[in-house]
Order: sequence, then structure tokens, then C-alpha cells
Amino acid sequence: MLWRGSVNRPPTPEAEDGRQDQHLSLQEIINIKLVESGEKERLKELLRERLIECGWRDEMKELCRSFVRKKGKNNVTVEDLINVITPKGRASVPDSVKAELLQHIRSFLGSAAL
Amino acid sequence: MSMSSVKSPYTVPPPCNHLASYKLKNGLAGYTSLQEYLRIAPNGKPAISKPDSKAPGCSSCNGSHQRLYLCLSCNWISCIDHTLSHTRSSLGHEIAVDIERAELYCGTCRDQVYDPDFDRAVMCKYIREMMPRGRNGFEGISIISERSSKRRRLVPGLDSDFSVSKQLICSGDQRAKSCYPLGLRGLNNLGNTCFMNSVLQVLLNAPPLRNYFLNNKHNQDACRKASADRFCLLCDIDVIFSAVFSGDRSPFSPAQFLYSWWQHAANLASYEQQDAHEFFISLLDGIHEKEGKAKDLNKDGRDCQCIAHRVFSGLLRSDVTCMACGFTSTTYDPCMDISLHMDTNSSLSADSPNKANKSSGNNMGSSSSTLIGCLDLFTRPEKLGSDQKLHCQNCQEKQHSLKQLSIRRLPLVLCLHIKRFEHSLVRKASRKIDWYLQFPFSLDMGPYLSSSIVRKRFGNRIFPFEGDESEISSEFEIFAVVTHSGMLESGHYITFVRLRNMWYKCDDSWVTEVDEKTVRASQCYMVFYVQKMLYYKANEELSCIPISSQRDAFLPVVGCC
Repeated sequence: MLWRGSVNRPPTPEAEDGRQDQHLSLQEIINIKLVESGEKERLKELLRERLIECGWRDEMKELCRSFVRKKGKNNVTVEDLINVITPKGRASVPDSVKAELLQHIRSFLGSAAL
Repeated sequence: MSMSSVKSPYTVPPPCNHLASYKLKNGLAGYTSLQEYLRIAPNGKPAISKPDSKAPGCSSCNGSHQRLYLCLSCNWISCIDHTLSHTRSSLGHEIAVDIERAELYCGTCRDQVYDPDFDRAVMCKYIREMMPRGRNGFEGISIISERSSKRRRLVPGLDSDFSVSKQLICSGDQRAKSCYPLGLRGLNNLGNTCFMNSVLQVLLNAPPLRNYFLNNKHNQDACRKASADRFCLLCDIDVIFSAVFSGDRSPFSPAQFLYSWWQHAANLASYEQQDAHEFFISLLDGIHEKEGKAKDLNKDGRDCQCIAHRVFSGLLRSDVTCMACGFTSTTYDPCMDISLHMDTNSSLSADSPNKANKSSGNNMGSSSSTLIGCLDLFTRPEKLGSDQKLHCQNCQEKQHSLKQLSIRRLPLVLCLHIKRFEHSLVRKASRKIDWYLQFPFSLDMGPYLSSSIVRKRFGNRIFPFEGDESEISSEFEIFAVVTHSGMLESGHYITFVRLRNMWYKCDDSWVTEVDEKTVRASQCYMVFYVQKMLYYKANEELSCIPISSQRDAFLPVVGCC
């Protein structure tokens, strides 16, 4: 899902904060709160651990490897790999992992009093 | 992961035209200015972040669900779509950096690109942040970018003995050697100190200890403040970790550590040969003494939280059963390692081919020429002799008893010590048992847990057992073997360590890659296993640290993950 800022405003060079502050969706607000509090990094770490533990990461590696073997290593870009494994990756995340992370986010939201 | 791809030599991919022209135009300026924004993410990997820690997003569309790239020419942050359109619209703005991973990307080639100079800039920052300076200026960390031969501060006099040509890591095929993971470095023998070097190599590669020291959990400054000038083994170990992980591959002399240990174990302070296992236990004891007191945790009877205990401490259960009435009394004892006997009555022992017919009551099935056999022996019920009759609470008199050991709680790192040195009081002589002992690389300690042992005693019934839901898994992976060759009085210790499924032989100053067969054929004296989960996690961490060859440019090893 993409959010678009105002497309009429020409992009300002060098400005790293070129985005608008109005029209922020709830999802964006939550994301910002998660990042600013450092919670997002902690959640990413937790997710990483879980996905390694359950072998998901090794599965993805294997998928990448077989794709590279098929296409030839000089004919593959990072983009190709991302496009190939993203749908499969998303689909194969174990439910328990999803549930655990949702739980963390829920309690974070509770404490952040949004 | 197939390791054959790591073994073959490979080259750094040549830069694409766009990267080459970017370098021509900007040199290293872009990379150096980027260093300011480099930080170490919690997973230990370098990432790029702006100081205001606002949630990064694409400057054009605010998207933050794709990978974000920072244009090296104008610092514009974009998602992949807008990075590509940015490249099309702005001439020369082809090279960008993936901010989450600190990796180069070319917008025209639409692919990841590699530059040794960039990776050097990243790793310099990384090492500077991760490695604290050593105490007393003793062997400070050599930062890659500033390294020169003048900064080698080895103990004077030892330098000359170890000419560079002997350092197998630095000679020969640079590319193959640049495959060596960080954390491998020879240790100079300071005078019969192979017993110490061999144990140090184990500690350097024990995942929980590696994490503890590399994450600066023992802060030398804080420690120095707290304890004035008292010797601190942990500080000395911290110095060794810094030196070994610095990227400098020349052999290191752990002289300060040796001196500190002598203070702790004064009776062993000499240049005579020592027993590696004795040293290991003495070292853990020294760590506990210092840290245990500082943390003052034993007062309420809780488990000691010193790093030595946290890593190596387990709990043994001993059941003594009265053979008359069956009453069993149970005691628990903590242990830092498990010493295993080799069954001298085994029918398969090397020097007793004819014993098979003579030994009685010997189970032919379980030979002690394997480590598993030794573990079986360790947990086998043992009939205590007539001179060891114990008082039975039930019978109210001394009875013949049966004693059985089992493991109530496994440690994170399991040290199995093979008792090869037999001291016979009868013969008033000591000898070394040289038999070969086969040991597995993957070890499931399940059958030796108290729950399994006690269950078997009752005929494998289905009943809940206290401690059934173990918090710690029972599956272990080997990561180091200390071997002894030679005789009782004059022998030599070397250590094999396993990193990312590759084996390396650490023989004092010399570290070389060896194959599995060599390790399996060696005469093990102490075998070290770590919980499987920690082993795989450690491998994963290692694969993301680029490796260096010592001589010249910091060659990043592409595709080593």
C-alpha cells in the first residue's frame, strides 16, 4: 500500500525531510512511533530470531539459491530475488510468529496511548 | 549451506562503469562522510541512520515498506521505484546506499555493486565502535586504516622467534586466506603454555562468551574504577578478544593474561607444563571469584550470575538407591564440566584384545571407544562396593547401594573432559590412556537428562516428571576440541575450532584450515559443545562480518554469507 504525498509539489533537492506532515495515515503514525521509540528495531530483532529458529531463513536462502542456479548467477539482480521470494516469504511466515509480533505491537500501542 | 563455495578462491567483482566513474569523480570523500551516519544496529550489523532518528521514508512518496536508498551524490532518500527514476532524471546520480544494510547499489545497472574501499570505510567504523581499547596500553587494537608495522607491540624478545614466513595465514594464496572468519588468530607459546593457548582458543570461539565480550559486557573502565589495581582475569580476556577480533592476523602473546592467572593460581605459576583441564577449571574459578564477589549475588542462594557460571554451569543429579528396600535419596550438585571415564574394562580397548572373554558382566553393546559410550557409562547405575555401604533412611542401617548420575540441568556450553590421565594409587604410577575416542559433531543429551534416566528406571512409563519442560534444549553442536598428543609429562595441546562448519587447527601461533577427517581422527581430551540454537545463531552472525587479509587492502569477501 503506497501513500502519496502531494504530487503537485516539486521535490526539493538535499532536503531529507521532503515529506509532508499532514495527511498521515494511522499506519504511518504508528510506524513513526514505533521507530522513534526504538520499538521497531526490537521487534525486528525478535522477528529475525524467530524466523531463523523456525528455519524460514534457510528456506528463503534455498529459494534464492535455486533461482540463481536456474537463471545463471550473472543474470540475477537483487531486485529479481526480492520479487521472487517476497510472496513466498510472506506466505510462509508461521502463524505463531505473526501472533507473537501482533501481541507485542498491541501492548506497545496500549502503553503509547495512541 | 554448501561450504564448497567458500573454499574456492574468488575475486572481488569489478565495478560497473557507473561506480567507476563515481569513484573517479568523488574518490573516497563520499564514503568517509557517510561514516558519520553509520551505526551498529542491534543485530550487530552496520546500518545508516540520520541523527534525528525520525522514521526514514522515501522523500518522494513517503513509502517505508520497501528498501530505502540514500543517493551518494545528493543525499536524497528514496524507495526503489523513486531511486530508479531519480537516477534517470539526475545525471551522475547512479550510486546509492541501502540504508538498512549499508550496501552499495547502482541505479542504472539496477543491481547491488561492490567496492572494497566502501566496505573498508564501513568496517573501520564498525571496529572502532565494537572494540574497546585494551588496558595498560598492552596490545592495543590495531585499527585497520592506521595499521603499520610500528604498531606491533608484542612482548619484546618474542617477536624475533616467530618470523613472518611461519604465519601460514598470511602466506600463499591471499584470496583463500581472506576467507578466514574474524576471530582466528594464533597465540604465541610463552614457554610450555600450549595448555593455556588451547583453552583460550576455545573461549574465543564459544558463542556466548564471544557475544559477551564483543558486546562490551565487561567494561574495563568500570571494572578498573571498581577494583583499583587488582588483577582482573575478565579484563585480560577482554584484551585478548579485542586483539583477536581486531583483524590483525599476526600471532598474539597473551602475556598479561598469563601473568594475571599466575596471581590467581600461584601454585601453578611456573613454566612447567600444566594440565589444560586443570587450567580451564582454575580459570573459571578465577572469573567467578572476582565477579561473584562484585555482583554479590550468592547471598539469597540464587544461582551465581557471573559469566563463567552463566555459560558453563549445569546441575548434576545423584540418586543413591538402597538395594535392600529400594528407597532412593537424591542430591543435586552444580558442575562446570563433566569428566568422563574411559572404560578400562571395555572389550574394545586397544591394549586388551583378549579381555572380551574374560570380563564378566560387561555389556558388549556399549563400548567406550565412543563419547556416547562414555556418557552411557557416566549415567550407568554403579554398584557401590562393600566398603561404601551407605546408611538407608528406610532400613535404618547401612546397606549396599546403587548410585546413578544424571543431568538435571544442561549448561549453554557443555565441556566434556575425557579422563586420559590415570593416576593409580595401587601402582603408585600415572599413565596416559591413548585410546582413540570417537566423538559426534551433533550431540543430543536427551538420554542423559534426569527425566530420561529416571523414567527408564521405572520402565519408560508415561508419567510427568519434575523438570520435564526443560527451558534449555538438549541438542548440542560441537564447536571446539582440545587434543593432547604425546606423553603424560611431555605432550602438546592443540585446539580445533569450528566456525561456520569449517574446521581450523589452532596450534599455538599457527592457525590453519583443516578438514573434518583430521578432526575426527584426533585424540580428543576436552570436547566442547554449545546449544544448537546458539551455534546456528553464531554462524549467522559470523557470516556478516567481512574478513580481511592482513597484508594490504581490506578485501571484502563477496558472497561469503
